[in-house]
Amino acid sequence: MPASVLQRLPMPNLKIYSSVSVLALSACIYYAVQNIKDPKNIIDTENEIEKLGMNNTNSSDGPVRTVTQFLSDVFYLMMRENVCTWTMINMAFCWLILVGRVVQKLVFGELRVSEQQHLKDKFWNFIFYKFIFVFGVINVQYIDEVLLWCSWFAVLGFLHLLSQLCTDRFEYLSFSPTTPIWHHVKLMCLLAAILMLSCFMLLVSVFVGFFGGIHTFAFMSAEVIHLGVRTLHTIIRYGLHLYDLRQEGGMSAANQSEECKVWERRGSIAYYTEMGFELTALIIDLLHHIHMLFWSNIFLSMASLVICMQMRYLFYEIQRKYKKHRNYLWVRNHLEQNYPMATVEELTENSDNCAICWEKMDSARKLPCNHLFHNTCLLSWLEQDTSCPTCRLALNIQSTRRDPVEPPAEVAQPVRRHLSFFHFDGSRYVSWFPSFSVEINHSNLQRQEPAPATTSQLEAMARQVQTLFPHLTTSIIIDDLRVTRSVELTVENVLDGRLVAPHVFRDVDFTSPTSTTYAVASNEPDKERSWHELTATSDNVAENEDSAVIGSRFSKSSTEREQILLKRKEKLLHNARKRYIEKRKQTEHVHSQS
Amino acid sequence: MAGSALRRLMAEYKQLTLNPPEGIIAGPINEENFFEWEALITGPEGTCFEGGVFPAKLVFPSDYPLSPPKMQFTCEMFHPNIYSDGRVCISILHAPGDDPMGYETSAERWSPVQSVEKILLSVVSMLAEPNDESGANVDAAKMWRENRDEFNRIAEKIVRRTLGIPI
Ligand SMILES: [Zn+2]
Ligand SMILES: [Zn+2]
Repeated sequence: MPASVLQRLPMPNLKIYSSVSVLALSACIYYAVQNIKDPKNIIDTENEIEKLGMNNTNSSDGPVRTVTQFLSDVFYLMMRENVCTWTMINMAFCWLILVGRVVQKLVFGELRVSEQQHLKDKFWNFIFYKFIFVFGVINVQYIDEVLLWCSWFAVLGFLHLLSQLCTDRFEYLSFSPTTPIWHHVKLMCLLAAILMLSCFMLLVSVFVGFFGGIHTFAFMSAEVIHLGVRTLHTIIRYGLHLYDLRQEGGMSAANQSEECKVWERRGSIAYYTEMGFELTALIIDLLHHIHMLFWSNIFLSMASLVICMQMRYLFYEIQRKYKKHRNYLWVRNHLEQNYPMATVEELTENSDNCAICWEKMDSARKLPCNHLFHNTCLLSWLEQDTSCPTCRLALNIQSTRRDPVEPPAEVAQPVRRHLSFFHFDGSRYVSWFPSFSVEINHSNLQRQEPAPATTSQLEAMARQVQTLFPHLTTSIIIDDLRVTRSVELTVENVLDGRLVAPHVFRDVDFTSPTSTTYAVASNEPDKERSWHELTATSDNVAENEDSAVIGSRFSKSSTEREQILLKRKEKLLHNARKRYIEKRKQTEHVHSQS
Repeated sequence: MAGSALRRLMAEYKQLTLNPPEGIIAGPINEENFFEWEALITGPEGTCFEGGVFPAKLVFPSDYPLSPPKMQFTCEMFHPNIYSDGRVCISILHAPGDDPMGYETSAERWSPVQSVEKILLSVVSMLAEPNDESGANVDAAKMWRENRDEFNRIAEKIVRRTLGIPI
C-alpha cells in the first residue's frame, strides 16, 4: 500500500526505546513481587487463583513448586494490573523490533539511506492503514480484541517490512555483476523464511476463522496471501536474475543451442510470471479493500474515504497493467504474423550479434528491411516504439492498432509509477470538517513539507550526493535534502537540473600525483621555467605509471578493472596535459622568434 | 530486467576497454553500481575545446538499452548544447517518445542500436560543431554566433581548468 501520510514522524531511537521498555518491565516486576510478598495480597491472589481453578495444589515438588508458583503468581498479578499488562505488551513489541534488528544486521548489514527512507515510509503507512482498519472498519469494542489485532498486525507488518527490505536489496544487488554469492544465499534464505512464516500465518488465520467467522478469516488471509504472493514474486524474480547471470558466466559449446532455446522462451516466461504476480497481488488487494468497504457499513466515514482512495489507485494500476498487456499481445501477434523467423542460411550469412542485446543469435526474427534481432529483444523494443532499431524503418504497427498506445515514456520508466496526490479539503464542505492530504506513492516527496531531520543525517546524505556530483557545494545539497529528505530524490533533482551548481570552478582533484606536482610548479614565478618543471615532473609520473600494468586488457576481477580504469584515466589526463604544455611552449617559441 | 541490461553494459565496457576510441575512456567508477559510469572525453583537435579532458557522468536506466542513459558533464562547460548544470542536450540521448525541442525527427533519437561509444563520439562531434538552434545554453549559443573570439577565450579557460593548468 504505497501511501504516505503527510505528517511523517521520525522513528524513535531504538536504544532509548528498548532500555525504557526494559526499565518499565522491571519496575512492574518489582511492583508485582513486592505486592506478592505482602501477605494480604497473597491470600487475595490465591483465592482468585483457586476460584479460577488454576492452582494445582496436588503437585508436591517442594522448592520447584514454590518457584513456579511464585512466578505464576507474579505473572497473574501483572495480568490483572492494567499498567503492567501494557508494559508486557510493549516489551513483546520491543522484542519483535530487536529481532528485526538482529535479522537486519545478519542479512543486510548497514542499510542504505534510500532503504531506510523506504522502510520508514512503509512503517508509518502500515500503521496508518491498520489504525483505520481496526478502529474504522472493524470497529473493535473490546480492549482484548484490539490487543489481538495489534499483535497480529505487528507480526504481519514485521514480515511486510522485511520482505520490502529484501526486494529493495535485491534490486540494488541486481545492479552489480560482482556480488559475492553468500549475499544472494542470505537474502534467499530470508525470503524463504518469510514465505514459510506467511504460510504458517495463513494456517493461523484458518484456525481463527473457525471461531471468528468467515469475515475475520477473509480479512486475515487476504493480507497474508498478499504478503506471500509478493514474497514469492521476489523469489522468482531473483531466481530468474541469478539464472541470467549464470548464463553470462560460461556457456559451453555443447549446451549452447539448448540454452539458447530456453533463452528464447525465457522472455515470455519472465513476462508472464511478472504480469501474473503483479496482477494477483493487485487483485487480492483490491478485493480486500472492497470487502473492507462493504464491511464498514458506515459509507460516509473517513475510513471509507481512505479505502476508496486506495481502491482508486489499485484500480488504475490494474487498468494500466491490462492496457500494457494488451499492447504486448498485440505487438507479439503482429510480429508473429508479419515477420518470419530468419532461416539458417540467413543466420549464417549474417554473422553479427543481435544489435539490441549484443549477444549471439541462434534464432532471429527478420524485419522487412532484412535486419535480424532476437525475438524477445525485438518484442520489448516494439512495445515502446514502432520502427526498426537499426535503420528506423517505420513498421506498420501503429496504424493498424485499435487503440492508442500509452506514451512510451511511461513504459520506458516503470520506476515512476502513476502518482496521485489526494488532497481532501473538508472545510470546503463543512467548516469543521478536517482537511488532510494523503499521497499515493512516496516517490513524490518534493511536494511535501519539510519535516525536521537531524543535521548529522543530512550531512551523511549530502556526502553521498557529493560523491556523485563533486561540483555541487554541500550547502546547496543540504538545502535540497531538507526538502526531499532522500538521497535518490536529490540526485534526481540534480540530474533534472532543478539543482543548479553555482558558477564557481571546481578544483581539479583527480587524486593523481600530477595535480600535486602542478601545485608545486605553479608557485614558480617564471613561466618558462614552470613549463619545464611541469613536463619534467609529469614525466616521472608517467614512468611510474608505465611500470604498473595498464595494458588494454579486460580483467576478470572487478577491483582490478576499477584500478586499470583509474590508471587509464590518469594517463589520459597526464598525456593531454603534456601535449598541451608542449604545444604552448612551441607557440611561445614561435612568438619569441618572430 | 536488470540482468540483460547488466550483460549488455558489461559487453560495452569490455569493448570500450579493449578497443577504446581515440581520447575517450569510459567505465563504471565503482562496480557495485554498474549502472553509473564516468567518461573522460578529449576535446577534438582543431576546435576551441582542443586538448581539454572533460569528465562526464553517465547514468543508465534499468531497462537499458531500451531507454537511453542520462549524461552530465561534471566539470564546468560553456557550450550551446550543454545546460549550465552540465546535462548534455543531444538528440541521440532523447527517448523516442519525448521531444523537448519539438523539431527532432525520430530518426535522430535513441534506439537500442546506439551505444555508449556512439554517444560519446557524438558528444565529441557536438563539441566540435555546436548546434546553435537547440538552446540548452542560450548565452553560449548567442556568443557562438555573434562573438566567436570571446567564446574561444572562455573555451580555452575551461580547457586549462580541466587540465589543471593555471590561467
Ligand atoms: Zn538480442
Ligand atoms: Zn532495419
